[in-house]
This record gives sequence, C-alpha cells and structure tokens, in this order.
Amino acid sequence: MSVIDHNAIELPPRISEADVADYIALLKPRVMSLVIFTALVGLLIAPGHVHPVLAFTSILCIAVGAGASGALNMWYESDIDALMSRTANRPIPRGRVTRPEALTFGMTLAFFSVMTLGILVNWVAGALLAFTIFFYVVIYTMALKRWTAQNIVIGGAAGALPPVVAWAAATGSLSVEPLLLFLIIFFWTPPHFWALALFRTDDYARAGVPMLPVVAGPDATRLQILLYTIVLVAVAFAPWPLGYFDAVYGVTSLVLGAGMLTLAISVYRRREGSGALRATRKLFAFSILYLFALFATLLLEVVAHAVAPSIW
Amino acid sequence: MDDKRVPNGIILTEAQKKSRRQRSIAIALALGVLVVLFFAVTIVRGPAVLVRPI
Repeated sequence: MSVIDHNAIELPPRISEADVADYIALLKPRVMSLVIFTALVGLLIAPGHVHPVLAFTSILCIAVGAGASGALNMWYESDIDALMSRTANRPIPRGRVTRPEALTFGMTLAFFSVMTLGILVNWVAGALLAFTIFFYVVIYTMALKRWTAQNIVIGGAAGALPPVVAWAAATGSLSVEPLLLFLIIFFWTPPHFWALALFRTDDYARAGVPMLPVVAGPDATRLQILLYTIVLVAVAFAPWPLGYFDAVYGVTSLVLGAGMLTLAISVYRRREGSGALRATRKLFAFSILYLFALFATLLLEVVAHAVAPSIW
Repeated sequence: MDDKRVPNGIILTEAQKKSRRQRSIAIALALGVLVVLFFAVTIVRGPAVLVRPI
C-alpha cells in the first residue's frame, strides 16, 4: 500500500513576501542593543590595546551571534508567541516568515558569527560565543522555559555572557573582572523579568509558560524580586571595595542600587490595585536604566583613564 | 486568435518581487561586509594573521 495520497491537493509553493525588516525583527534588535553595549564595556575594560578593526569585528560577531539566538528562539517558540499579546506581532506568528526560514536564518548567522570570531579574533572568544548561543537556544529556550519557574534564573547566564565573550576577544583569556560583569547581569535578570512577568501574568498563563507569578503566585514573586535585588545591589557594589573598579563606579552603584532597592520594596509592599501595577512597571523600567547606567559608568571610567590618566 | 501567451511557472506579484530584491541586496551587503572584514583583519594582523590563542 502506498503511503502517498495521490488524491491530495497539490499546493503551490509558498512565495515569501518577507522583507528585510521582518528578518531584522527576528534578530530581537532591542535585546541586541543591550548585548552590544555590555560587550563593548567588556571589551574596553580589558587590559592592553585592541586594534579598532579587531574590536569592531568582535562586537559585530557578538551582535550577530545574539541575533542568531533571537531568531532561533523565535523559531522554537512561535507556537507560544502567537498566544501572547507581547509577542503575537513577531514575524512568524504574523505569517511573514516561516519556521524553516527562521531556523535557516538563525543557524546561518550562528555559524558565521562563531567561525568569523574564531578565525579572525581568537578561538576562546569563538568557543564562548558558540556556548552562549547553545545555552540560550538549547538550555534556556528548549529545556528550561516551559519546564521550570527557575527558567530565567538559570537562562539568565546566556544574557550575562556577552561581556565575558568580549573580554576573551580582547585578551584571549578570562579573568575576574568579566566574571564580575557576568554576575551583575546574572543577578539583574530575575528582578527585571519577574517584574515584567508580574504585569504579563495572564499572557504567560495563557501560553502555559511556568513563569514564577504563574506557578508560585504574585506574592512569592514579589519576595523573590526583593531578595534577588538585595543580592544584585551587593554584587554590583562589591567590585569597588575589592579594588577592581574605581570610586566613581562604587558611588554610582550605591546610588543606583538604592533606587533599585526602593522600587523593589515598593513592589513587595504594594500588592493590590493600580498602585501595585504602577510599582511593578516602574521597577521594570528602572531596571533597564540601572544596568545601562552601571555599565555606562564603567565605560566613562575607561574613557577618563585614557584621556587624563594622571587624575584617575 | 488570442495572441497573449500564458507563461509557464510561478508569476511573482510586485510585492513579492520587491521583497525578493530587498532580501537579495541585504545578502549582497552582508557578504560584502564579510569580505571587507576578512581583508581588513588580514591587513591589520599582517603575517601573524594565523597566529592567535587557541
């Protein structure tokens, strides 16, 4: 017996109308911009001189690698993306790009970004970039996200690796400083994403994603946000007394940390009504500013050291 | 007799042609950047282009 149904209607081949903007959307440009920024800081605080062409190549490869991760994430999650209002407009749920197209696009970018970084810069950085993409796509997206409420805690490691990759690109090795940057982003991820999950709980519940507010409830999430924020503030402050970063960074970290802690306490205390929602949204917005300002301070320290080394 | 010929195969709409042209240009630009990048790094590194930490 033949397994082919000869009476089946033969559909015409699908002709893509996806334009460049759809493919750019697959790269998650907003996530990519944060990756570029944190990687730039990792690259510039590394000791020694990096030729601008090699620095540009490194950042470009890291950015493309992050974009590849985004495309592969959208390939795998297109079913749940279609169910959530925040992600329903992504190219695959909208029917602009098919899943195989997104898979091919993501794999191609992943291959070229890793190989280019390895060949042109060094293989420590290339291997780390490959690991970052693997961790984000396989460990976080495929394994953790739909399985455990700790998904973004463990998966946060992927988002925290870009400055480490950049440091490795600059030095060919690893050291304590990039690991400090890693820890800052790692402990920043839970309060940031759980704040988002608190005001998107219905979305995640509809899609069956076991985010902490869906599984453990909003009150447990508020407590976890507060606890992780305390750890984050301590971890972000530690590099100054340990002698890795300068006083300007230390003071900035304290001021920003106080803001982050105040908002986390506000989220913990306000549990009902519009006040609770406002507090959560404020924490989410401030957390982006917090990370950006902290890394920008490190960048300014590097520039200041280069411009006026005697004063600093 | 009708002089119009029915073309064989798939006829792309204007929107499909436009998006295909856009994608082709983007691929060409990406390949161009890759070539320039490899060339520039080879110039920067000079003879040591293959000497790097493993």
